[in-house]
Amino acid sequence: MDDNASARLTTRLLSIGHAVGLFLAMTVICLPGIWIILTSLRPPVEIMAKPPVWIPQEMNLDAYVAMFSGVGKGGIPVIEYFRNSLIISVTSTVIAIVIGMAGGYAFARFRFSGKSGWFLGLMLTRTVPGIALSLPLFFVYARLGIIDTHFGLILAYVALNIPFTIWLIDGFFRQVPKDLAEAAQIDGCTRWQAFWQVEFPLAGPGIASAAIFAFLTCWNEFALASQLTRSVNSKTLPVGLLDYTAEFTIDWRGMCALAVVMIIPALTLTFIVQKHLVGGLTSGAVKG
Amino acid sequence: MKAPRLSAPVLLLTPAVIVLAAVVLVPLALSLYSSFTSFRLTRPASFFNVIWFDNYLSILTNWDFWVAFGRTVLLLTVALNLEMLLGLGLAMLVERATRGQRVLRTLMMFPMMFSPILVGFQFKFMFNDNVGVVNNALQSLGLTDAAIPWLIDGTLAFIAISIAEIWSSTSVFAILILAGLLAMPKEPIEAARVDGCTPWQTFRYVTWPFVMPFAYIAMTIRSLDVARAYDIVKIMTDGGPAGRTELLWTLVGRTAYGDARMGMANAMAYVSILLSIAFTYYFFRKLAAARTQIGAEW
Repeated sequence: MDDNASARLTTRLLSIGHAVGLFLAMTVICLPGIWIILTSLRPPVEIMAKPPVWIPQEMNLDAYVAMFSGVGKGGIPVIEYFRNSLIISVTSTVIAIVIGMAGGYAFARFRFSGKSGWFLGLMLTRTVPGIALSLPLFFVYARLGIIDTHFGLILAYVALNIPFTIWLIDGFFRQVPKDLAEAAQIDGCTRWQAFWQVEFPLAGPGIASAAIFAFLTCWNEFALASQLTRSVNSKTLPVGLLDYTAEFTIDWRGMCALAVVMIIPALTLTFIVQKHLVGGLTSGAVKG
Repeated sequence: MKAPRLSAPVLLLTPAVIVLAAVVLVPLALSLYSSFTSFRLTRPASFFNVIWFDNYLSILTNWDFWVAFGRTVLLLTVALNLEMLLGLGLAMLVERATRGQRVLRTLMMFPMMFSPILVGFQFKFMFNDNVGVVNNALQSLGLTDAAIPWLIDGTLAFIAISIAEIWSSTSVFAILILAGLLAMPKEPIEAARVDGCTPWQTFRYVTWPFVMPFAYIAMTIRSLDVARAYDIVKIMTDGGPAGRTELLWTLVGRTAYGDARMGMANAMAYVSILLSIAFTYYFFRKLAAARTQIGAEW
């Protein structure tokens, strides 16, 4: 075989190998999610069947109907959990973004002593494991009587989200050239006006994605929520998921259905955010 | 006399500092204090019973604790390294794809939107010895007849947990490394090829140094949130059976809420906080070093 032909063969083999590798990787990534959706649509008999039934014979929405039909009819208070999750996540996201915007702007635009120390310090508060933080919070909240309230969880989640929000927003403000705001100020804007009319709109998409990221953190959080909530007053969806586990049995189908309900908002929001998220993380951290 | 004018950054950072102090620092100070007491939830008076370092001393001699500690470090080491390698591989696969890169990138983010608790539950279902898809597949393919006790045997459970952890977090690395690969100028690679570098040499001495800071960003982000593994383990095995998959965090939870020994749990929690801080600090330093190293080119 001459060199040309063998080189062509190698290229061809490499590209086939590449396609196969890519396909396998994507399968591994997507399979668990698809499996959950599939299970939520199948009757329990088929899920438990031995030997396993691979091709679904029968699909229906019974699990979803049962879930939303309320307590006592095989359902759990999903609507209440959903409402709690939504209220807590949205409120704490809004507060965290306002505070994070102030902090991020300070890091992006001003020089002050001990800047990197402060930044690291803020980040370190995020490293405290949720379960470790839940011990003193549980104690303090019990004293203040704010266990099992929306307020308690919102407060905790604001603190949880501030460090990362600052990191992201700092990155987005760095991408906005300083000269623009300075030009606006020369043209007669106050610093305040320059911020709102020039810098804020330019960093807007980035800030929106920081908000979505904060929202997802609250939406998915479990370690704190499982200790600081007690009842339908404030239980969030991740904690509600445990309602499907009894001592020895688990209602797999019901859990899968709830999982799908939980994942849909997260899925939608992540798709919106994906492009900006990476930009904020890398520009803030690399070009610093 | 005029009040001293506060500078802008101080004013801007004040709200963040106040909230973090109120919700994180003050409670942590409280838990530091209670780690020096024999505080039990069931006996509130014991909150004032200071026993100094007794809790820490009994941790030092507590074999279960050190096993859990070692297992946590092992899990983090295994998971972070594999996530990094797989993330790098995945990023390079996607970067080389000529068509459908947007779709691939979106698919790649899929695991990121799963709440850790969902990841745990989903893998608990898949690794279930009776109805799980893994055992079903192995049996249907005729590879084994027995139901492999994935979550009951200690070693297998550790592997299952690592797989769940790696599945959920590889995409963080893949996405950031991919961002690095895409941001990289193409000239150095071409120059290296013209100069006769092998593909491996091109990767090792041209691509990797450039992508490294991005990998460290991913590492830092991950290390901020390593305790997420708690959710996964909590739901997959809850530290069981008989403590064979106990991690530091599940042990803290069990000591605090199961046994109501708050003082002891707080002492353990402090060890886990120090562990997290050590990880984060280490990667922050690495990030800073990598940044100055390539600072000249940027």
